[in-house]
Amino acid sequence: MTALLEAIGIGKVYPGGVVANDGVNLSVQAGEVHAVVGENGAGKSTLMKILFGIEQPNAGQLWLDGRPVGFANPRQAIDAGIGMVFQHFSLVPSFTVYENVVMGSEPRTGITFDRQKAIAEVQALSDKFKLGVDPTQPVRNLPVGQQQRVEILKSLYRKARVLILDEPTAVLAPQEVQELFVAIRSLVEQGQTVIFIAHKLPEVLQISDAITVMRQGKTVGQVKTKDVTEHSLAAMMVGREVVLRVDRKQTDQSQLVAACKGVRVVNARGADIISDLDLSVHAGEIVGLVGVEGNGQSELLEAISGLRPTVEGTITIANENISQMSVLQRRERGLASIPPDRLADGLSTGSTVAENIVATRLNDRRYVRNGLLDLRAIKAEAIRLIEKFSIRVGGPAFAVGTLSGGNMQKVVVARELAEQPKLLLVNQPTRGVDLGATQFIWRTITDARDAGTAVLLSSADLSELMALSDRLLVFYRGRIVAAFVNHPDLSPETLGTYMLGLKTQTADEMKAALK
Amino acid sequence: MSSAPIVKPQRWAAFRRELFRNVGALLVAMAVTTVIVFLTSKAPLEALTQLLTAPAAKVRTIGLWVDDIAKLTITGLAFSLVFQARQFSMGVQGQVYIGAIASTYVVLSPLGQTPFGLALGVLAAMAAGAFYGFLPGFAKARLGANEIVSSLMLNYIAIELCNFLVRTALPLPQAGVLTTIDFPESAVFPALVDKTRIDLGLIFAIVAVLVVWFALYRTAWGLKLRLVGHNARFAEYAGIRSTFIMVSAMTASGALGGLLGAMFVQGQTWGKLTVQFEGGLAFEGILVAIVARSRPLAVPIVAIFYAYLRQGASLMNVRTDVPAEVIGVVTAIIILLVSSTFSLNFLTRWFKRGPAPVATAPAVAEGATK
Repeated sequence: MTALLEAIGIGKVYPGGVVANDGVNLSVQAGEVHAVVGENGAGKSTLMKILFGIEQPNAGQLWLDGRPVGFANPRQAIDAGIGMVFQHFSLVPSFTVYENVVMGSEPRTGITFDRQKAIAEVQALSDKFKLGVDPTQPVRNLPVGQQQRVEILKSLYRKARVLILDEPTAVLAPQEVQELFVAIRSLVEQGQTVIFIAHKLPEVLQISDAITVMRQGKTVGQVKTKDVTEHSLAAMMVGREVVLRVDRKQTDQSQLVAACKGVRVVNARGADIISDLDLSVHAGEIVGLVGVEGNGQSELLEAISGLRPTVEGTITIANENISQMSVLQRRERGLASIPPDRLADGLSTGSTVAENIVATRLNDRRYVRNGLLDLRAIKAEAIRLIEKFSIRVGGPAFAVGTLSGGNMQKVVVARELAEQPKLLLVNQPTRGVDLGATQFIWRTITDARDAGTAVLLSSADLSELMALSDRLLVFYRGRIVAAFVNHPDLSPETLGTYMLGLKTQTADEMKAALK
Repeated sequence: MSSAPIVKPQRWAAFRRELFRNVGALLVAMAVTTVIVFLTSKAPLEALTQLLTAPAAKVRTIGLWVDDIAKLTITGLAFSLVFQARQFSMGVQGQVYIGAIASTYVVLSPLGQTPFGLALGVLAAMAAGAFYGFLPGFAKARLGANEIVSSLMLNYIAIELCNFLVRTALPLPQAGVLTTIDFPESAVFPALVDKTRIDLGLIFAIVAVLVVWFALYRTAWGLKLRLVGHNARFAEYAGIRSTFIMVSAMTASGALGGLLGAMFVQGQTWGKLTVQFEGGLAFEGILVAIVARSRPLAVPIVAIFYAYLRQGASLMNVRTDVPAEVIGVVTAIIILLVSSTFSLNFLTRWFKRGPAPVATAPAVAEGATK
């Protein structure tokens, strides 16, 4: 059986020397759901951009229906029957669904836009593929899952036979994921072919017929979904057995490093985000801040790092009150911080890796003397950290913007842990980061703890908090409502009841875990 | 991948791409200009010849060209500095006038007669320009005033202040003339080449390029400035005081603007203060900075080309029936093509498909004249 769409020996080198694809093969049969999986930076997105004509390969050949093809731009790919739905939608929010779908190839009568025909056509498509979208609704009124299906309709309206979905589940709630899968099955039943780019392995196993695994720009192999397990697939992806667990040393946790007393933080309108909060962190321990997002965990970390004013109370590092100091003064006293959004706060993507690494230490005499940069020392430090943290980059002079998400995060972690901090603040350290990098970052944070750093960790991922923390403090509406010493019997459900405010511990119950 | 060899990014390749892009933009702009000249002029070939050859034809015109290079370089640097910090201060013109006024007061005072007159005039101009650049920065940092609006308003104040002082307060050679008396010989920049406008200002321009480059790429201040320009939130998070950087970048840029003011009034061009002496040159630094991508070492290269066009247009204006405003078309097209990413793809495709843009121009012109 010949494949509907085939890519053979695809190679792509970006200007700047990043090899994104190197001898990549993909063979998609008609009428199947074909998943492409791999870590961040494995080259999945590049391959899809080549299939859709956004990027041109340096080597290799695409075949469609057994004929060699090449797409100079997306228009040619669309004409050949390939459609793509990106993670970030390109819809006009104020336009209706049908207007968005037909835009650019509207049905006409004479020179006027035949709206009735457009509505009917879009409705028919939606019904045929069980997408359940009302064509007359404005797009801005639709939930994300529906908007995604409008994107799918756009491709179908342009007679796509092959649909490429780029990480479609990343933006969806679990309920919406199941609805998407119903739609995908219906598409396949009626002869469509779907290429599904994904991160989350359980979803891949649930929806796909065949899986192509990519690693470091190469294809590792193609397998039938029924022949693999989540574990064997993960091993193929990262090239080794994955153990998402970290071994931790026994540490001396007697020495107090940082403490908050009666801290109050307010929002722009003056309302309390955090009220009268006390907590303490000791050398060699990780304290996990548990809570549904928006209950004050992030704001507390911002207040400690100096990005948000502390209205009342004291924050101390080594018995010195830092609550009114500048960011730089706090950093000089041994504070380091890994922010939740690396692109917005953690990096300057237009600057080089070396410049990003040294940005927090511009008053350190090793790198700056008399206002002049010691470029040699900066470069040496950057090379040291690139090697120590296995950052995949051509060298210290490359712009951070050319790195993959996981490697960008490693640059942030490398900078913050370049010197052993006294107090490390960590917020969402592995958001949007692949398995290999997650494991590495967990290991790195734990190593810092083992070496005597006090760590405050906030994460939306409960399993991350439970894997790393020594103690867990549950936040609800800006207050600590429960405190636990982490142990294997502690269940996510127990934490959940406190996170949702269903239960609150008494002061006596918390005492043991508050130290 | 720690074993991967440390390589340098392909700077040459990037440089060639930029060069190709800019030369492409220039060719397209010249092609359009050709069409316009053919459409409007009675003697189009004569006009184009003047535009393309006149600046290099005589020692005197080469002098005009070089003088423009020096001045465009300084204003280009001033804009590059604020653009790199992602501040859109448009105040160079105002700083030029304020600098020129400060220089005039110093040079026409008894100090101007001393051997230090020249240097004091330049320093006074730079200090006044720096203060004038500091104002919109301070207003932004303290009051949240938009720097585009405040700097543009300050430009008008400076221009009219100069106007007012020349008419009322400064010594004039005779009543009704809108220029001051000549500056003392010792305070005027010596000419480097006799009987041309090439003077000490050229040296100032070369030094300024090196100083700005050094400040941006070799000092902690420059690194902070560029980090603030790339991502101000990250700079704050890293402990860099972005408001201080912002205000200091605008102040330093103001000092360059003031220097340019001194180069006008103390240079061979004038040797005195007059109303509207700067002829709109200050604003053309925006074009130079944009095409040079705000990189100080690229600024003089861009200035060489642009100064040639500028002088060509002005000589064409004098000697033929085509007005100098035609150069505005060239400027506009270059800015459009260079500042849009669209131009690169569009040009590459064009070149791949065949006819060079210059070759197509006469055909278009014929089609349009029918």
